[in-house]
Amino acid sequence: MNHRLLLLFVGCFWALAGTPTEAQIRIEKPAGEKIGIHLAGLQVGSDAASTEFMQALRTNLERSGWFRVVGAGQAEIAVSGRVQPRGNELRVECRVTGTQNRQTYINQSYRHAANDARRLAQRITDDIVEQVTGRPGIASSRIVIVGSSGRNRELYMIDPDGSNLTQLTSDRNTSVRPRFGSNARELTYTGYLQGFPDVYLVDLESGDRRAISRSSGLNTGGQISPNGQEVALILSKDGNPELYVMQLRSGRLTRLTNTPAANEASPSWSPDGSEIVYVSDQTGRPQLYIISRTGGAPRRITTRGTENVSPDWGDNGLIAYTTRVGRQYQIAIMDPRSGEVRNISDPAGGDFEDPSWAPNGRHLAVAQRQNFRSQIYIIDTAGDAPVRLTPARGDWYTPAWSPK
Amino acid sequence: MIKLRYFLMCLIGISMVMSVTSCQRRGARGAGTGADGVSPIRGMPGDSIYGEGLGSRAGFDGEFIEGQFEAVLFAFDSSQIQESERHKLEDVARHLRRNPNAVVIIEGHTDERGSREYNLSLGERRALASRAYLVGLGIDGNRIQTSSYGPERPAASGHNEEAWRQNRRTEFLVSQ
Repeated sequence: MNHRLLLLFVGCFWALAGTPTEAQIRIEKPAGEKIGIHLAGLQVGSDAASTEFMQALRTNLERSGWFRVVGAGQAEIAVSGRVQPRGNELRVECRVTGTQNRQTYINQSYRHAANDARRLAQRITDDIVEQVTGRPGIASSRIVIVGSSGRNRELYMIDPDGSNLTQLTSDRNTSVRPRFGSNARELTYTGYLQGFPDVYLVDLESGDRRAISRSSGLNTGGQISPNGQEVALILSKDGNPELYVMQLRSGRLTRLTNTPAANEASPSWSPDGSEIVYVSDQTGRPQLYIISRTGGAPRRITTRGTENVSPDWGDNGLIAYTTRVGRQYQIAIMDPRSGEVRNISDPAGGDFEDPSWAPNGRHLAVAQRQNFRSQIYIIDTAGDAPVRLTPARGDWYTPAWSPK
Repeated sequence: MIKLRYFLMCLIGISMVMSVTSCQRRGARGAGTGADGVSPIRGMPGDSIYGEGLGSRAGFDGEFIEGQFEAVLFAFDSSQIQESERHKLEDVARHLRRNPNAVVIIEGHTDERGSREYNLSLGERRALASRAYLVGLGIDGNRIQTSSYGPERPAASGHNEEAWRQNRRTEFLVSQ
């Protein structure tokens, strides 16, 4: 049962002369502070591709959270070189140096299709972030979201700078709960192509998809383990929604929970794949629990509040989830080792729900709900203001951020 | 304390199901007909009520009629069948008894508030509770499939208590 999905454009890059310089000295700052970066040393043509490149470079550097574009006098990092179109290509010679430490972070030539200049800017942004700060960039990552229109729920992709909104499914059907797999090439979601909720696995490079779980009743919650070999599922085939782990190759199922009087939902793997955090309402209200991937006794980790749902266990070891405070939904971030929790609420007074960690472990994509309209925002655990990603028109929810 | 509460709920459950099914004992399975009068209980809150595995989806791919039966409504964050809703399930059971080849898909739905994923599970439990009640009325569980949409297919489009009340529901799609 293979369906052809819209083939996602996969960018190709060529690095020409020069190799990435292995920087010796990283610039380390508290996450709330910015590194001043000076871009005016780049000689830029006035053509459309070069203009788009510069605008995208500036946006993505600032969205990275680490940089502020400043004048020459205040800069700690200077970018120099040349941006010029050549035939159908855009060529960028790029030299990135520390103004005080004299370190050369990047000395490299890039080229890429001129009609896709934004992607080249995203790639160079990530190189600058990684070389200067030693931390992973997010500009080249992708976010999958659900778009709602009438009765239809289709999957879309969007870039973290808000560009490239691309429709992924066109089934005129219901597609919900997308999650990336252990790499950015595969994702799982819950779709109703057969009239029942089934879990599908999509290969974004080939465009193939296939149903990997279509038991009787509910099939949802699909999330592939960090080693790529198992998938966590919520199934009701045995009479009640419960948490299972399935071997992807053999289809062999292991049932982890046994709560005939309760709901389970929203599994998310620990970074090492040994445990799963999930939602259960066995005490009467939905709370978060952690269980070993081999089963056994779960331990409840949320004690505050009447509703703690939608956990995402990041590679940074922290669990982000939705918590209800009074009448408002906020994002809570818990360190499961210490139990320490802090909340992030919408400064505009709306609800923040369904967090998904960025590959940098700093930003989160969330659904922001206000007046019963939902939009996707990027929020910053280090304090930058939330940024809206999706077009104001439409209803968008359940973001899932790709791995690097 | 919790045990006692379940015990009381079970007792109440048994007496309510017994009263509902007293005129339909013929062929009734479950629904408080166990020899000891305690188990199995189906379609009522409490432990071990949904213990039965679901039958195959084979044969559920033809034409189904929507809206022939009234939607069964639920309280907020609850999958318990309320007394006021039972007659609707009895209508469905009556139809299935008169049409022994008919099968039914029960769709579970929730209102728009709260986690969509949690609501998918909640909608499924509403569908399973409705299924269990039909089984309690003597309908073969293999004639029933469940499909939860969570909040994705509201019946009423408003954002208020009345719309939410109408959207917390199960619907019954009966085969042609």
